[in-house]
Amino acid sequence: MRQQIKDILSLTLRSEIADDCSQRNCHNWDSLNHLNIVIALEETFDISFEPEEIAEMTDIDTIEFFILKKRQA
Amino acid sequence: MSLFVFRNSTLEPFFESGAIFSGYGDISGISEADAYVWFYLLPFETGGRKMQEILNDYRARLQLVQSRIPAHHPLYVFTIHPLFLLRWENSDFSTMQAVEEFNQFLAEWAKADTAVKLFDFREFILHYPQTMWVDWKYYFLSGMQLNPRLARDFREWFAQKAGAVLLRAKKCLVLDLDNTLWGGIVGEDGPQGIRIGGDYPGNAFAMFQESIRELGRKGVILAVCSKNNENDVREVWKNNPSMILRKEDLAACRINWENKADNIRSMAQELNIGLDSMVFVDDNPSERELVKQMLPMVEVPDFPTQPYLLPAFFERLLEQYFQAYALTGEDLQKTVQYRANAERTAFRSGFADMREYIASLQIRMQITEADMYTIPRAAQLTRKTNQFNLTTRRYSEQDIIRFREQGGHVFCLKVEDRFGDYGITGIAITLKNDLHTAVIDSFLMSCRILGKGMEQAFLKYVLNALKQEGFEQVQASYIPAAKNSQAENFYEQAGFKITAQSDSQKKYCLSLAEVKLDMDI
Repeated sequence: MRQQIKDILSLTLRSEIADDCSQRNCHNWDSLNHLNIVIALEETFDISFEPEEIAEMTDIDTIEFFILKKRQA
Repeated sequence: MSLFVFRNSTLEPFFESGAIFSGYGDISGISEADAYVWFYLLPFETGGRKMQEILNDYRARLQLVQSRIPAHHPLYVFTIHPLFLLRWENSDFSTMQAVEEFNQFLAEWAKADTAVKLFDFREFILHYPQTMWVDWKYYFLSGMQLNPRLARDFREWFAQKAGAVLLRAKKCLVLDLDNTLWGGIVGEDGPQGIRIGGDYPGNAFAMFQESIRELGRKGVILAVCSKNNENDVREVWKNNPSMILRKEDLAACRINWENKADNIRSMAQELNIGLDSMVFVDDNPSERELVKQMLPMVEVPDFPTQPYLLPAFFERLLEQYFQAYALTGEDLQKTVQYRANAERTAFRSGFADMREYIASLQIRMQITEADMYTIPRAAQLTRKTNQFNLTTRRYSEQDIIRFREQGGHVFCLKVEDRFGDYGITGIAITLKNDLHTAVIDSFLMSCRILGKGMEQAFLKYVLNALKQEGFEQVQASYIPAAKNSQAENFYEQAGFKITAQSDSQKKYCLSLAEVKLDMDI
């Protein structure tokens, strides 16, 4: 799943994605691309995030965490 | 092909990634592009404002846009369909009526200007159930009115529509006869034995012929290329009263046993048109294959296997190849009428120029220093604003508080106009360098209010405030980032002098003695 997340990030941000990639250290990751990432994640994993979660999903670990959480629910 | 999109909501996912977008509702900033797009959506209203007024405003803006984009560049315009509509009374059709009138206006207006191409947004959106049109979560998070799940489909739909315009419509339709224009084979069934008119399948072929005749009347050149004895076919035209397409409808004929590729090539010469403007329709797959192989520039669509599929086939034929073919002599005549009508009725609310338009917006600006209520918004704007942001420095709420404690200012610009309150949409952060010199650390405005002439007014206010505080000069800088090139010359325009320049930064200085203390906003 981590690889899938990285693929989505890399496609959306059009750059290589390191493991510690986050909104802070990746300059392509602006608010619009953040939304594009969320849209792609929701489609790929067939889940729907809450706005509060979306606001927090600014790095790979947190994204993975929320997807796992959704899957368990 | 590069696109510039005029929009009033978040639309980025709906166009290819190279597209440039206007500010929300902004029509003043226009970048160079191959083609321009107008895609406005109705605001989600809970009541109060009249749709009529909003749509009149769209008309006026559209007219201004049309007059300001470079000549000979296409302007793609979408019709409007309300995505969300609260109908307070069962019998209230006023919004739908206003929308209907607006779309009607668009249709006539588009006909009067060949650069304007109208795409019917309803054709797209009505493919989906209403529950899919809006995803409220994304609307509230980002101002996206159209559900992002429709983005991919929309891009494809738009690409197909825009492609059809660019490809240019074809000029000539070349038709086979047996089992294409009629059922059966004239050499075997005889001139009276072929199926045309009457019961199925003759009625299906009759409808197909009627459609093709109409296409000819619209200006498409019709031609026939078939393998028959010419006498048999002549007999059909002479003695079969059910035939709808007559010899006179055809500009060229090749009825012989030669290979069809050669025939088509010689017709192209005779008609003096390019092979790439021809479409070849034949029921026989091997003939189609031959033409495809020998003349790859000729369009060869697949032909339906059942006569009852002919209307759908013709519809596609029309859409794909001939729809944009509009300006025959007759149509030109129509165009004149349409133009007159449009001028009479349409632009009562039109504006002479940008200045008049801006005046009509009744803009009110209010500038305050950030306080405990506005600091979160100020910090957020520094993090979110990309386009009109001179230095793109991102700050936290603590940063903002610190600036104020160190003798700096954080100015918040609040904007209202006739159409509503935009809230805090501009921030300027100034720091104290020494007793005489202030520094504009950040200057930014949200794209939804750009282009109404407020950028310079806001800066002027800031400069005045600094002057009144006793500063003698102001330093500022522009730092290029991915999306802020439109702010590149902002300080030059305000009279700042460049003191240092490199690829990564431009530094400026302005003596405040030169700033007049008027507040002419």
